[in-house]
Amino acid sequence: MEALFIEFFQNTGFYLCDYRYIIMILVGLVFIYLGIAKDYEPLLLVPIGFGMLIGNIPLFKGLGLGIYENNSVLHYLYFGVTQGIYPPLIFLGIGAMTDFSTLMARPVLMLLGAAAQAGIFITFLGALALGFAPNEAASIGIIGGADGPTAIFLTAKLAPRLIGPIAVAAYSYMALVPVIQPPIMRFFTTRKERLIRMEEPREVTKKEKIIFPILAFLLCTFLAPAALPLLGMLCFGNLIKEAVVTERLAQTARNAVIDTATILLGITVGASTQGDVFLTSSSVGIFALGALSFCVATAAGVIFAKFMNLFLKSKINPLLGAAGVSAVPDSARVVQIVGQREDPTNFLLMHAMAPNVSGVIGSAIAAGVFWSLMA
Amino acid sequence: MYGLEAINANNGWSISVVGVSIVFSGLVMLSIVISQLYKVLALLEDPSRIKAFFKLKKVRKKQAGKGPEKQAMDRETLNENQKEIAKQFDLLAGTMQESFSLPRLLLLARISDLKDPYSNLDQLLKTKIIVPDGSGFFSWDKDRFGKTIS
Repeated sequence: MEALFIEFFQNTGFYLCDYRYIIMILVGLVFIYLGIAKDYEPLLLVPIGFGMLIGNIPLFKGLGLGIYENNSVLHYLYFGVTQGIYPPLIFLGIGAMTDFSTLMARPVLMLLGAAAQAGIFITFLGALALGFAPNEAASIGIIGGADGPTAIFLTAKLAPRLIGPIAVAAYSYMALVPVIQPPIMRFFTTRKERLIRMEEPREVTKKEKIIFPILAFLLCTFLAPAALPLLGMLCFGNLIKEAVVTERLAQTARNAVIDTATILLGITVGASTQGDVFLTSSSVGIFALGALSFCVATAAGVIFAKFMNLFLKSKINPLLGAAGVSAVPDSARVVQIVGQREDPTNFLLMHAMAPNVSGVIGSAIAAGVFWSLMA
Repeated sequence: MYGLEAINANNGWSISVVGVSIVFSGLVMLSIVISQLYKVLALLEDPSRIKAFFKLKKVRKKQAGKGPEKQAMDRETLNENQKEIAKQFDLLAGTMQESFSLPRLLLLARISDLKDPYSNLDQLLKTKIIVPDGSGFFSWDKDRFGKTIS
């Protein structure tokens, strides 16, 4: 009986636990805290944080419980991540929620979304310099797109073993947008520039709104066909939103579909951060490069906005460049907050949504480019 | 392999340049198309604008064949339809003060359902029947109006 008791004890988490699981459980708790108490991306951080708890319960290998064990339930759910199924579903929901009208009213702001993608390619170079393989470097670089689903999608295709650290880095930095971006925005702009008021955007007709997703899809996927799964779903989601006659579908996409996909993606990505797999030197490198990527992307957007002002008659507020990273709508909100600190009557949110959503398109194109060049 | 050596060995520079160029050209292309979309839709919604556009092109071609003096003369004359509309504008201007605002006149023209109010108003400005008074308002030159429509 004593032997039986000892055998049972040896299979418990208390016996199998080592410091790596404890660290990851603590990180998971921090995520849950940030999500609930600080309201930083709660819809993502809470599922990921809890997923970290699930993934870091020390298990006796062979029971078929761990996410990396072939016959486990978690492994089947994780299939949606490794095969890139959840990110396009999330894009479908994003498309069904997003209003592209500010982008259509002033299409020149789209260039800010393109400029911010420079962070992706500079980080790609940084990751190569640090000794990562090109496919891994591309997956790390895409963190700078500030688009969790895109980062996961590309990593699933190019470097599946890095999904955990890349997803956690991408979502952590997305949640920390209000902390990371403002100092960079202030550093690269003068007070006078931050006070610039934007012109009122023109009214966009319903027809334009309906045609936009079709045109955007055709143009972008003809140019970068590998962006098809993400852009296809994004544009389709937007079309069913704008078409009105498909409102029922749009409602499902922006509620049930995106919520289900987010829950499954969050939980399984969190669970994939198993201490013994996750805590490696490359994870530390990924986190450092991810931070660099975010900072470069923000700076590139702001600097490009200043550059555009050299040629534009009606100047744009360079703070909008920071919204080019596609953390929708957080980076647009940050622009609004930083702008209003200088002038409480200056409303930049609506204008910042234009580079913000073009950043989503830009990062999906960048992911497509990487995929086609590396696959 | 680390540093620049690793970047060079893995074609890092060219991949980055190609990547940035594709992202930029994709979004530039999209922004150009989107910036023209509402104009195309406006044309399709009002086919008379397409006809007017081609008519204008023909007129410009004709004018290009004429000398500058003749062109100036053409600008200062009105055809029969334009003369009729100018008379209606004269009535509208009469209901206003001597110095009037152009948007107000345009509004009245639109309320009165005058044909092509924008282009006809533009023609009246070109023929100098409507003249700016220098303070942001305009006045109706009755003498010039009389000479032009006679």
